[in-house]
Amino acid sequence: MNNPENIKHKKRVTRNNKIASYVISAGGFGIILSIAAILLFLVYKSYPLSSDANLEKISTASSGKNKVILMGMDRFQEINYSLSENGEISFSSNSSRKVFSVKNIDLEENERIIFADKGSLRNETFALITNLNRIITAEIKMTAKYQNDKRQIVPSLEIIEEFKADSSGFSIKNFIFTFNENSDRIYSWTDSGNNLNLRIFGFDDEEIFQHNLSGFMNSDEIKSCAVNHSGEILICGTKTGELFWFDISDFEEPELIDNWKAGESEITAMEFLLGDNSLVTGDGKGFVSVWFPVRNSEGVQKFNRIHKFKKHQRSVERIFVSSRNRTFMTIDAGGEIILNYSTTCHTSLKFRQSQKKVVSASFSPKSDAILVTDEENSTGIYTLDDKHPEVSFKTLFNKVWYEGYPEPDFVWQSSGGSDEFEPKMSLIPLIFGTLKGTFYAMIFSVPLAILAAIYVSQFAPKKFALIVKPTVEIMAALPSVVIGFLAGLYFSPLFEKNLMFLFFFTAILPVFFLFAIISWKYIPEEKKVKLPGGSEMLYVIPFAVMAFIAASFLSIPIENTFFGGNINQWFYEVLDTKYDQRNSLVVGFALGFAVIPIIFTISEDALSNVPKSLTSAALALGASRWQTVKRIVIPAAAGGIFSAIMLGLGRAIGETMIVLMATGNTPILEMNPFNGFRAMSATIAVEIPEAPVDGSLYRVLFLTALLLFVFTFIINSLAAVIGDKLRKKYARF
Amino acid sequence: MNSLKEYFRKGDPYVLLSSLGLILSLVMVVFFVGIILVKGLSIFWPSDVELVQLKDGTKYLGELWSSEENKITNPDHSINVVPKVQYKTGNRDIYGFDFKWIDKSEIVSISNPADATVFERKEYGNFYGFIKKVAFKGKEYTKNNELFDKATEALDYSENLVEKQADLMKSGNPDAEDKIEKLNAEISSIQILIESADGSLNTFSLSKFVGFYQPNQMNLFEKSIHYLLNIWTFISGEPRESNTEGGVFPAIFGTVMMVILMSVLVVPFGVLAAVYLNEYAKQGLLTRIIRLSVNNLAGVPSIVYGIFGLGFFIYMIGGSIDTFFFSEKLPEPTYGTGGILWASLTLALLTLPVVVVATEEGILAVPKANKEGALALGATKWQMIRKIVLPNAAPGILTGLILAISRGAGEVAPLMITGVVKLAPAMPLDTIFPFFHPDRKFMHLGFHIYDVGFQSPNVEAAVPMVYSTALLLIIIVVFLNLLAIFLRNKMRKKYKSASF
Repeated sequence: MNNPENIKHKKRVTRNNKIASYVISAGGFGIILSIAAILLFLVYKSYPLSSDANLEKISTASSGKNKVILMGMDRFQEINYSLSENGEISFSSNSSRKVFSVKNIDLEENERIIFADKGSLRNETFALITNLNRIITAEIKMTAKYQNDKRQIVPSLEIIEEFKADSSGFSIKNFIFTFNENSDRIYSWTDSGNNLNLRIFGFDDEEIFQHNLSGFMNSDEIKSCAVNHSGEILICGTKTGELFWFDISDFEEPELIDNWKAGESEITAMEFLLGDNSLVTGDGKGFVSVWFPVRNSEGVQKFNRIHKFKKHQRSVERIFVSSRNRTFMTIDAGGEIILNYSTTCHTSLKFRQSQKKVVSASFSPKSDAILVTDEENSTGIYTLDDKHPEVSFKTLFNKVWYEGYPEPDFVWQSSGGSDEFEPKMSLIPLIFGTLKGTFYAMIFSVPLAILAAIYVSQFAPKKFALIVKPTVEIMAALPSVVIGFLAGLYFSPLFEKNLMFLFFFTAILPVFFLFAIISWKYIPEEKKVKLPGGSEMLYVIPFAVMAFIAASFLSIPIENTFFGGNINQWFYEVLDTKYDQRNSLVVGFALGFAVIPIIFTISEDALSNVPKSLTSAALALGASRWQTVKRIVIPAAAGGIFSAIMLGLGRAIGETMIVLMATGNTPILEMNPFNGFRAMSATIAVEIPEAPVDGSLYRVLFLTALLLFVFTFIINSLAAVIGDKLRKKYARF
Repeated sequence: MNSLKEYFRKGDPYVLLSSLGLILSLVMVVFFVGIILVKGLSIFWPSDVELVQLKDGTKYLGELWSSEENKITNPDHSINVVPKVQYKTGNRDIYGFDFKWIDKSEIVSISNPADATVFERKEYGNFYGFIKKVAFKGKEYTKNNELFDKATEALDYSENLVEKQADLMKSGNPDAEDKIEKLNAEISSIQILIESADGSLNTFSLSKFVGFYQPNQMNLFEKSIHYLLNIWTFISGEPRESNTEGGVFPAIFGTVMMVILMSVLVVPFGVLAAVYLNEYAKQGLLTRIIRLSVNNLAGVPSIVYGIFGLGFFIYMIGGSIDTFFFSEKLPEPTYGTGGILWASLTLALLTLPVVVVATEEGILAVPKANKEGALALGATKWQMIRKIVLPNAAPGILTGLILAISRGAGEVAPLMITGVVKLAPAMPLDTIFPFFHPDRKFMHLGFHIYDVGFQSPNVEAAVPMVYSTALLLIIIVVFLNLLAIFLRNKMRKKYKSASF
C-alpha cells in the first residue's frame, strides 16, 4: 500500500484539495469584497467634497525697503513680482525667493506711486497713479519658454499709456482701473475735493471721454469705488454707508441708476466678483456682504444684499477676488485675512501673516496660491488648496440664491458656456425627479402586477398559468433601452395625439367594468360553478373591448364639444399647465412596464407557494374563493408580495435608459404629470463623460451614485428583512 | 340591495377585477412586442412606389409612409379636420428633405408607374425616379425595355471595378497608381441618368449606389426574396450615413465580443462563490452576509456599476497601466479610456449575482447521497466537487451564463460610459498582432438603438433602423432566456427524479 508512487499521489491530492479550498474561499469572499469595493470607492471619490480649504505657508522673505503697491504671480507658480512705490518692479523666484530681474517704470524725482489697480482678471494689466497725479498704464507678461524640456518664465513690461489726471490741486484719495475684454480702459479716481472722476478710453474709436460724476451724488464723502470687469457698471460707496450705482456702458453719458443705503457704517472697500454680477462690499465695522441685482416685483432691477459673511474685528481695507471662481479675500486694518466663497456663503479660512497691517495681496492666476505683503515689507507665499469651494452640504441639499435668480432655489445646472459660469449643483431636483418617476411607475404597476399575480396564481387554469408565467418572466429580461426608445419615439407622440382618448378610456373602463360586475351577478350560481377556470377573464374581455371601442368613437366628439377640439391646448389655456411630449405619464407607463414583470413574478411565486392545505381548509369551511384569497392567501404571501414591491421599487429608482430617453431631462421641481423630470441615474449617464476627472462635478456625480447605491441598498435590505419577518409571521403553518 | 352587498362580500367582483388586471398587463405586453415586430419587420418590405400629382401640378414620387388627421380650430370655434398623408420622397440632396406631408384634398391623382425605381445610395438616402439612360463600357442605352437590366449589369460591372481598385490599393505597389487612376476614370464613366418626379434629370455615377429595384413590377415572390435579402444586409452589413442606413454587423460583433469577454470573467468567479457558499462556508453569519451582498449586488442600479467602472477600472487601473507601460503615448490614453476590457469587467461585476444565484440552484439540485457517497469512498472534498458537484450542476452554471449573457447584451447605461461608441473605427478583433485589442472601443446593439434614435441628426429617417435593431436585440434576448428556462426546467426534472 505504502509504495512511493502512492504516497506521491496522496500528497498531490491533498495539496490540490488545499489549493482548491483556498481558491474557492477567495471566490466567496470576493463577493463581499466586490460590494465593499463599490461602496468604498464611491465614498472615496465623493468624500473630498466635504474637505475644507487648506492654506500652507511656503516662505516669507523681505521685499526691499520701499512700500509694495502691487503684486502678482505667473500661472505656473514659479515667479512673482512686486511693484514698489518708487516704480521698481522686481521679479523673484518663488522657490529661492531671489530677485532675478528688475524693471523700472520711470518716475520723476520725488514722485511716488500712491495707488495701483489691476484692470483685469485675465492678465496682468494695471494702472497706477502717483503723487504728481500722473497715471501710467502698463502690462506685465510672464511668458513660459521651453528649453530642453525645462520651463523658464520670462518676464516683460510694456507701458500702454501715460497721462496726467487734472485734479486742480486736490490730492488723490482713491483710484481704480478696469481693462475690459474689448480693450476699453476705464479709470476712476476721487480726490480730496470729493470729485468723482471718470475717464474712459474707448478702444474701438480710440476716443477719450471724461466725466465728473459728483453732481449725481450728495455731498457725502466717497470712500470706495468699483467698476465691474466688463466696464459697464460703476458703484461708489460713501462715508454714511450709501451706495451709488452708475451705468457707464454709454461712454458719452454715464447715468445714475439707483442709490440705496447699505448700512450705517462707511463702505471702505468693494470689488466685483468673477462673472461680473456680484459685488462684495466691506465696511468700517468689518461687515462683509455680497450684493447682486435682482428684479423686484415691479420688474425693476435692484441690488439686493444676498449674503453676509463672517465679521472682521476691524474695518475692511482691501478686497481681492479670484479669477477662477467666486472666492474672495477680505483684509482688515488689523492684518487679518478671511477667505470666503460667495455662492455657498462659506468662510473657507481665516489667517494673518503677522500682527502688522497688510499693504498688498494677490491671488495667483489659477487661485492656487496667495501672496501677502505687510507693512514691514515681508512677503509671504501661501499655497491654497481649495478644490471644491462651490460644493457644500448647503449647496447640495438647501436652497441657494444664485446670481440672476429672483430668490433662493434648488437648481441643477452643472455647466455653462464660459469659465465665469456659476455652477449650480443642487441634488434636490435630481432626487425629486427620481422619486417622481418612481412614484408614477409604482402607482401604475403595483395594482396591475399584483392583481394579475392574484388571478394567475389563484383563479386561472394551471395550463394558462404555465404559459403566462414564463412569458412575463421573459418580459423582465427585455432590455430597458428598447422600452425607453419605444416610450420616447412611439408612445410619447401617440399619447400626445390621443390624450383625450387616453383620459376618456381610463374614465369609461370602470363604468363598463361595473356593467360586467353587475351582469355577472345574474349568472346563476349553479352555472358559475360549472364554468371552466378562467372564464371570468373571458367574460371581462368583451367589456374591456367595448370600453375601448366606445372611447375611440366618443373621444373625438367629446374633445370637440368640451375641450375646443384640442385638449392639450385646453389644458394650457384653462389649467395653465403645458403638456410636454416627453412627460411623466409616458415615463410612468414605460417604467411601470419594466417593473410589472418583476413584481408579478415574485408575488406570483409567493402566492402560489401558499400551502394547498390552508386554502382547502378555508374553502371547506364555506369561504368563497375571494374570501379565501383575501383572508388566507394574501396574508400568508404578504412577505413575498412586499419583497416584490420593494424589488420593483429598487429597479424603478435605478433605471437609467428609460428615464433618459422618455423624459425631457429638465431638472424641475413639479409633481405635474404633464412635464418631465431629470433623474439621478440619467444625470450620471449624461454628465459623467464630460466631467473633468476629480473635479467638483465629477465628485458630485459620484455622490449621486452613492446616494442611489444607498437608496437601493436600504430598499433591498428592507425587502429581505421585512419580507422574512412577514413570511415568518403568516406562513407558520 | 342587500343581495348586492352579499355579492360584493363574497368577492366575485374582486375576482373579475384581478382578471382585468391580468388582461391589461397582457394587452400591454402584446402591444409592446407587436409594435416592435410590425415596425421592425415591415421596414424591409419593398412597398410600392406611388406617383402623386397635386392640384398645383407638383408631382411627388415616393412610398406612402403614414397618415394622420390634423384638427384646425377656426376663429369661430368650429373645427376642420384635415386628413394628411406622409410620403417618403427621398432625393434629400435635391429636395432638402426626405419626407413630405401632403394634404389629401390637394391630391389630384395617384398612380403606380411600373418603371418607378428606388435607388439605395451610399449617401443622402434613397432616390426615387425613372431610369432614362445608362452608360457603361463606352456604350449608351436608352431603350425603355432594356434599361433596368442594363443598369443592373452596369452596377455589377462598377462594383467589380471598385473591388479591383481596392485590391490594387491594398497591394501598395508603386506602379499600381496608374492603374488605379485608369480604373477611377472608368468607374466614374459608368453613369446613369435618372428623371425625378418633378421632371428634373440627374446624372449619377453608379459607384454611388448600393442597389435599386422596381417595386411596382415585383410580384409577391420577388418581393419576399428582396425582403429576405434586405434582412440579410441588415444583419451582415456595415452601417452607413452615421448609422441611419445599412447594417449593424459591427454592433453585433462588438456585442458578442463584449459578452464573451464578460463571460470568461464572470463565470469562474460566480461559480467559485457559489461553491464556497454551499460546500465550504459554515452556514451562519458569514454566509448570510455573502447572500446579502449577492442580493444587494443584484439590486444596485446598473449606472452605479458604470460610474464605478469609469472611476475605478478606467481612471484608476487603466490610468496606472498607462503610466507604467504606455507612458510614451501619454497624454493620449491607451487603457486610461473606455475600452472593451473595461466594459466587460464592469458588466462581469453586474452579472455576477445572476451567475451565483443560478449556480447555487444547480448545486442544490445535486443529490446529497451522491456527494456523501463520493466522500465515503475516500474522495477529497475537491475531488468530490470536481467529479460530482460541478458536472451535475453544469445546467445551473449554464443557465447562469445564459442569463448573464442576455443581461449583458441588453444593458446600455454602464456601457455608455465605459467604452461603447457610436462608430468604432476598428474592431476589437482583427488580423493585426496581437489580434485581440482589449483597449479598443466597440459598438453595441443596445447603444446603437439609443444613439440612432436619439442622437442622430435625422431622427425621422433613422427610426426604422431603430425598430429593426430593437427587434434584433429582443430576439437575441428572448432566445437566450427561453434557452435558460428550458435548461432550468430540465434540471428541475432531473432533480426531482434523483431525490428519494
